[in-house]
Amino acid sequence: MKKRDWFLIGGAIYLVFIVAFAAFGPAIRQVQLYPLAKQVDPAITQFDVVREAVSKKPFQPPGTGEAFLGTDELSRDVVARLAQGARVSLLVGLVVQGIALVVGVLMGVLGVFGPKWLRQPIMRFTDGMFAFPDILLAILIVAVVGLGILPVIAALAVTSWPSIARLVSTQVATLKDREYVVAAKAAGAPTGYLVIKHILPQLSGLLLAYSMIELAGTILAESTLSFLGIGVQEPDPSWGNMINTARINMNSHPVMLIWPCLFLSATIFALNFVGDGLRAYFDPKS
Amino acid sequence: MQLARALVTRLFFGVLSLLFISFVTFMADEIAPGDAATVLSGEKASLETVERLRRQMGLDRPWPIRYVEFVGHSARGDFGKSLYGIKEDVGVILARNLPMTLFIATCAISIASLIGITLGTFAGVYQNKLPDRFILVVSTLGVTLPNFVLAPLLVFFLANKQGLFDLFYQTWEVNRKDPDFYYLFLPIVVLSARPTALITRLTRASMVDTLQQEFIRTAVAKGVPRFRLYTVHALRNAILPVVTAIGTTFGFLLTGSFVVETFFRLPGLGSTTIDAIKKGDMPVVQACVMLTGALFIFLNLVVDFLLPILDPRIRESQV
Repeated sequence: MKKRDWFLIGGAIYLVFIVAFAAFGPAIRQVQLYPLAKQVDPAITQFDVVREAVSKKPFQPPGTGEAFLGTDELSRDVVARLAQGARVSLLVGLVVQGIALVVGVLMGVLGVFGPKWLRQPIMRFTDGMFAFPDILLAILIVAVVGLGILPVIAALAVTSWPSIARLVSTQVATLKDREYVVAAKAAGAPTGYLVIKHILPQLSGLLLAYSMIELAGTILAESTLSFLGIGVQEPDPSWGNMINTARINMNSHPVMLIWPCLFLSATIFALNFVGDGLRAYFDPKS
Repeated sequence: MQLARALVTRLFFGVLSLLFISFVTFMADEIAPGDAATVLSGEKASLETVERLRRQMGLDRPWPIRYVEFVGHSARGDFGKSLYGIKEDVGVILARNLPMTLFIATCAISIASLIGITLGTFAGVYQNKLPDRFILVVSTLGVTLPNFVLAPLLVFFLANKQGLFDLFYQTWEVNRKDPDFYYLFLPIVVLSARPTALITRLTRASMVDTLQQEFIRTAVAKGVPRFRLYTVHALRNAILPVVTAIGTTFGFLLTGSFVVETFFRLPGLGSTTIDAIKKGDMPVVQACVMLTGALFIFLNLVVDFLLPILDPRIRESQV
């Protein structure tokens, strides 16, 4: 086996782990920010809840009591927070990448097979969107829509489709002249059938590989926005805003910084390894 | 002559994309709920007061007229006034914050180019040997590791642990007005990490490509000294895609120093933008986005104009 295969397998194992962690983690360990007292007495305000939480056991070292990795500044179990953060980060990434795939494939195909007057404008528009710095556009969208999970998804979806569209259009343009496609066309296949039955299946592997790498970028972008405080907002955890809160307490409790940084970097590495490995299998050029 | 025409076309598209950015930023304010009048008149103002203010500010006119006005004012550097605080002129805010962003981005890209091209050439020359492997692994790390992971790690290990605390970290926190620039050391290092890695990888790939070409073999056969061969013959040819990349990366640094500026609390364009978004200060957000967008477009134009100067092939092919 080649070295790249080991990276691919290692990355894939890690990804399975992180998906399982995101799926089942929050159910096993819950974030206990709101103690049960709130249900008993409705007069207890959020401020009381937070004060009580802080007075309870903030910044417990790892391994104390039930908290395997200790607790954070509001006495919340770090493992539970990480699991929920994984859920948010992966969910945002997957939804955005799903939208980007649909829009990107549509635009890419339309740029080659669309009506003649539409092709050039679509390609220019895609190029323009591709060249424009993503974060500026995302910031504008966040400024318009507001803060939270949905605005982040909207902002990232708008910025992430052009790279897929460019990939699809270049690939489709080369596949268009392959003999089997020309043969199908000569046999009278309509364009839609041609694209769906003959061209897109050829692309699926490459698209999978690319969207893995793109997914890493999306998760990174979401964490960046959340880190800056204009993405996912507390109390919703995301690796990005966990790093941000940990950074505030960095001098007194540097350990808090390690876990979200570790999970985020490892996920990005793993996605890149897996994406690169898959691309080596599917890309005829490399 | 064809070259001149190509450059003019680029210039035209640059202006066009600038107009596009201005349109998008203008529309962003239009679509967003509430306008300057609602913000300025406060939460408790009656509808009548808001309406009066709106008429006074001319916000009741149709948007195409206001867009043309917006472009005209922006072109003259008049971005209106901030909605919050002492309602400062946005132009003044930009002028105060732009130097920091420009300074750290310029330092970062200079460091990145210097180290990146050197390491990349080195790796390309020793292709698949130990130094190359090492450089490749480190640069892969550099490309994928996010800035906001790198920054706290560096601060923690260099500044807090190694007793370099006073030198790199506390200076900016305690007395930021200090005349010395120690406090900019870590921000610039963090900012330059990713570009360095990118430039290294690109230079390496380009060098590997170039070293396989025939004119290199000819030069070796002629007995050109090693050092001269690698620098004058190979690097001179390999550097062209790198120059393009340096230009675009510089553009991304100018637009993308948000994380570094926020983390190290530097008064720059990025941190200003983020603060403005959190406050909902639309004029400042608009101005920041337009300015960074303009810088980005300008840098890409500079690269377009620089390439024919550096590469005679482009010059010849288009004349």
